[in-house]
Amino acid sequence: MNNLAILLKKLIRNSAGHARYTVAVTGLSIAVFLLLAAVQIQVNYKELLHGKKNQDSIANFLVINKILTDANMGNTALEDTVINDIKKQSFVQSVGLLTPGRFKASIQSNSDRFPFYTDISFESIPKEFIDVSGTDWTWNEAAPYVPIIIPNMFLDFYNFQFSLSQDLPQLTPEIVKMIVFKVTVYGPKGTASFNGKIAGFSDRISSMLVPSEFMDWGNRNFASEDLKNPSRLIIRTRDPGNPALSNYLRKHQLTTDTEKTRFSKYRKAVDTVVAISGITGALMLLFALLVFTLFIQLTIASCKEEINLLIILGTAPRQLSRFLIMRFFPANVWMIAASFVTLTVLQYLMSLYLESRHIFVSGIISLYTLGTAILLVLLIWWVNRKTIRDYIYPRS
Amino acid sequence: MLILNNLMPDPLRERLSGKTSSVWNRSIQFEAGEWIKITAPSGTGKTTLVHMIYALRKDYTGNILLNQTDIRSLATNSLASVRQRQISIIFQDLKLFPHLTARENIELKRILQEPFCDAAQITKMAEQLGVAEILDQPAQICSYGEQQRICIIRALVQPFEWLIMDEPFSHLDIANTKIAVSLIAQECRKRKAGLVITDLDDDVLFPYTQKLHL
Repeated sequence: MNNLAILLKKLIRNSAGHARYTVAVTGLSIAVFLLLAAVQIQVNYKELLHGKKNQDSIANFLVINKILTDANMGNTALEDTVINDIKKQSFVQSVGLLTPGRFKASIQSNSDRFPFYTDISFESIPKEFIDVSGTDWTWNEAAPYVPIIIPNMFLDFYNFQFSLSQDLPQLTPEIVKMIVFKVTVYGPKGTASFNGKIAGFSDRISSMLVPSEFMDWGNRNFASEDLKNPSRLIIRTRDPGNPALSNYLRKHQLTTDTEKTRFSKYRKAVDTVVAISGITGALMLLFALLVFTLFIQLTIASCKEEINLLIILGTAPRQLSRFLIMRFFPANVWMIAASFVTLTVLQYLMSLYLESRHIFVSGIISLYTLGTAILLVLLIWWVNRKTIRDYIYPRS
Repeated sequence: MLILNNLMPDPLRERLSGKTSSVWNRSIQFEAGEWIKITAPSGTGKTTLVHMIYALRKDYTGNILLNQTDIRSLATNSLASVRQRQISIIFQDLKLFPHLTARENIELKRILQEPFCDAAQITKMAEQLGVAEILDQPAQICSYGEQQRICIIRALVQPFEWLIMDEPFSHLDIANTKIAVSLIAQECRKRKAGLVITDLDDDVLFPYTQKLHL
């Protein structure tokens, strides 16, 4: 502190009392902590939702269909109006229709050593919704085989239940992909047979998928009934936990894999915590700023005569403002820094705790939180400066 | 250069109308480095004039130009700069901070701007004026005579082009007045500064270049 500041400190005393000042500083600290915590919680939640470590391939794709009830049994097709309405929703990034096969089909083994036969049905979806990469996902009549994607759970079911009970060998995905089997489709005009191969395994859709070219060809030539609207569709969404999505599905009697929308419950809880913390923090900040403003006003008012004489003797209002800002502002900066450090430590400890439960959030505080802290510093500096200037300059 | 241009203080307008004055309602010019004596009986506006020149009051007609600038038009920070570097003052009512020591009162004025002299100069001047012993006493327990000498030192530790004094020796005896005059003259010469002194009676304390009567 320079000599001038020492002399000014003797003249301009803090008349508000240390106890009240401490209470105000504590209040402002808590307010800042709550606001920063609200920002950090929101960032953590976003990271949980969209972070690469946490996200799996199914998280952002939802297959939607009507809830099957006694009333709509046999009529679960999604009307065009419903489909168009879904496309318009803000939480929907894109929509793909699941085209069902309207023909009978079967697959059977070409090998006597490993015999199997089963009736099946196929579905197809637009290529961009497929989660199997590295596959030539197309078909034409001259193609050597029909590529098929099956749900991962089918292979799990075979390997860990069926093969054990039937004394059959377990099969790795690579072996399954090498097996060539016979695909037969049936229709009013007769039958057609092709070679089929498993092209990959999907976590996303729980049905047997074929390329849309094969589906279109089959439906054109072997369909036993007229074209109907699809009963299921797949949507890509940025946030499956969005409560608006859950609410929309519930309202329109639609359903999806509830496991995928489980985040919506957490999201509501997080939103509530963020809202409570944010609003409480903002209100406390408002009151704390008001109290600090009053402190400054009180200090200036109680030293009115000294300040007047200082100005008469030639002290520039700029010098007085600078002194008063240096008197009040550093405490605020320290307090924000303390809140920030506390939050940083808590974030680190929380990341360690969550990591032990295979939930990954950054151990470092987010740039948004840092930015908010800087904004708060600037806001408090501005309020301090404005109050001081408003009360000093009219005296000069 | 200091120009007083047709000055007439609003509160004294009626009282001064019809009276002859070599300051009120006249245009007078003080060149840099001039030493001016203004005499007037009590209640004729000496302190008012001093306050007008120091820009403490603005309730007057006419204008005061300091180096071509109307001091009434100065913004607050610019006015502070004038008081720190161009015009120093000794108030009639002293205007000391009672709780600060005599030394602190002087030191405050020395360091408000880039110091003109070092801190040791305070002690030197105090010794010269016979107030060195009371430098570390709160100003409020000093006698009027001591306080007036503290005010004189306070006015002399800053840079200035003009020293304005309002009855600066009213609490001093003749011997102390002569010592103070000597110190003031020395510091003004050091700065090639002018001075304006107001008092009740005429005197020959300084080699005045102009003598005016309010």
